[in-house]
Amino acid sequence: MLVTVVGSYPRVPHEGREFLLRRATEEHQSGRISDAELRQVQDEVVREVLREQAEVGVELATDGGVRWDDPQTAFAGRLAGVRLDGLVRYFDNNVYFRQPVVEGPLEWRGPVLVEDFIFARRESPVAVKAVLVGPFTLACLSQDLFYGDLRELTLAYARALHSEVVELERAGAGVIQVDEPSLLRSPEQLPLVREALEVVFGGVSATTACCTFFGDASRLGPDLFELPVRFIGLDLVSGPRGWELLEAVPPEKGVALGLVDARNTRLEREEEVAEAIERAVGVIGEERVWVNPSAGLEFLPREKAREKLALLARAAARVRGRGG
Amino acid sequence: MAEGLWTTQVGSLPKSEELLRARSAWARGEISRDELKTLELQATRDWILFQEEIGIDLVVDGEQYRGDMVAYFAEEFSGFVRGGLIRSYGNRYYRKPIAVGPVGRDRPVTLEWWKYAQSLTSRPVKGMLTGPYTIADWSFNEYYDTKEAFVMDLARAVREEAVDLAKAGARFIQIDEPAVSTRPEELPLAARALAVVTEPLHEMGVHTITHICYGEFHRAYPAMLELPVTQIDLEMANSGYDLLELFREHPFTKVLGLGVIDVHSRRVESPEEVEAGVRRALELLPPDRIYVDPDCGLKTRTPEEARAKLRVLVEAVDRVRRDLGIKPSPPR
Repeated sequence: MLVTVVGSYPRVPHEGREFLLRRATEEHQSGRISDAELRQVQDEVVREVLREQAEVGVELATDGGVRWDDPQTAFAGRLAGVRLDGLVRYFDNNVYFRQPVVEGPLEWRGPVLVEDFIFARRESPVAVKAVLVGPFTLACLSQDLFYGDLRELTLAYARALHSEVVELERAGAGVIQVDEPSLLRSPEQLPLVREALEVVFGGVSATTACCTFFGDASRLGPDLFELPVRFIGLDLVSGPRGWELLEAVPPEKGVALGLVDARNTRLEREEEVAEAIERAVGVIGEERVWVNPSAGLEFLPREKAREKLALLARAAARVRGRGG
Repeated sequence: MAEGLWTTQVGSLPKSEELLRARSAWARGEISRDELKTLELQATRDWILFQEEIGIDLVVDGEQYRGDMVAYFAEEFSGFVRGGLIRSYGNRYYRKPIAVGPVGRDRPVTLEWWKYAQSLTSRPVKGMLTGPYTIADWSFNEYYDTKEAFVMDLARAVREEAVDLAKAGARFIQIDEPAVSTRPEELPLAARALAVVTEPLHEMGVHTITHICYGEFHRAYPAMLELPVTQIDLEMANSGYDLLELFREHPFTKVLGLGVIDVHSRRVESPEEVEAGVRRALELLPPDRIYVDPDCGLKTRTPEEARAKLRVLVEAVDRVRRDLGIKPSPPR
């Protein structure tokens, strides 16, 4: 069993501390500080976020995406063929992203996230995974003015992601995850997502994962486990019926269980979370279970994000203490 | 003679640099609430006079005294505490409220501001409220076991405020529900809550409006026509008026608030493009079922940009009115 996170983490400082990153970002936007100076401030936030995750008991962390405006544009915005347009709401959250507009053939022009990954890995007290938005979700969240076909666009994003994933693996990424929340809105597209992830992860030997969130994965049925990744993420807060899928996890696959609500401040009861973990471990064994919040933690204030992770880690420790 | 194509506003208008600085100074405890309020009253007056001067038919107070549209009500209602900072995009953050007890309205929230604004003009001033579904959806909930219970308590609080506005003489009351377009499956709950607010208003002859934005309309339309309001106000300009095409398949049955100004762009529209947008709507609806306004609140623009955009809006509508022989008349 591993205690992990889905991806994002609040870059907001703890209450009462100065918000240096916000000020530095403003100063950078108005040209008063250089790229390198902004990066130094971001580096410090990444270190702090990595340390905090390790302190509360996370065993597989991320850099929290704290350098990004949003996860979509962090990658898609750096590809040839993409222009960034106006703000669009991110699923059913009061959070926004710049919509990528695909105007020409998508082309990967060189590593996008590798430098950040290397930094995070070097600075983190615990293992770090690389997290990218998956090809299908990128396609669904983009406006397509070029391909005119969802499959073509998805596969074009998949090829670009594959180039990035190869570089990440070369840079030492032992775990690489893609997020596909859009799959839960279009379950009929599972075959396309499967085909696209085969492209993304073809020839990759790192541990691979695909997280779904903001919805109910049970509608996809056991076919969900045909996705060509080692771990599949289920948001059991938004979609508690996802528990039904647990019996169907094939022996070569694992699940990343979203057990604490990443979108509400109300704290779960530790005992209930521990019972949920025990239940999952009872069905498929400790080796094949990751536990994490239901989605990225940036929807929560910093204090609550930390508390939720600490609670999750304590619940996991209780289950381990019982011998699984 | 035909009438219609009334010009109006979605709600917020930009705050001046001076007012923004005063708000920060107040937040840091450097000036008193009264000092800030003096500036807010002056800013409200300036915007009312500007709208009257350029010829906006149905005016707003411009919300110079509000910050976030949800946090403002949550901070005035009981049952909420102020939450920590959440990032909405890029380097922008807001304090998301947390419901920690039963929510309700202890005293009027916007009433005095509406009365003040209406005292400054002979034109009707819209009452501006945030809807119960959106307040619930954009807050954390640590108290209620179900979202429904949370939303319905808020509906009663918003209803009290709305009825106070109507009793004071407001004939147009807008209850914004921008969150409803994101979860079509919860539209029935949003509609039920909105009915709690609008039922007494309709009995009092009030024209009710809801504004919806940033959503996937193709998923929420035509179901959104079930919302119990007189008018639905929609952003059109920033999607190239695509939404109008949905009306060809399923006729739009309400009065339409037609957004013709992109509030996220600094570029000032030309009167010609705004006029073209109005004419597209006129292919589908008669002029007396159309109100023309910006896509959304203009608070993210500078005061100069907002004034320039609003002048264009009025100019374009005047052109169409002259061309079609629609006389300027008070909105109904």
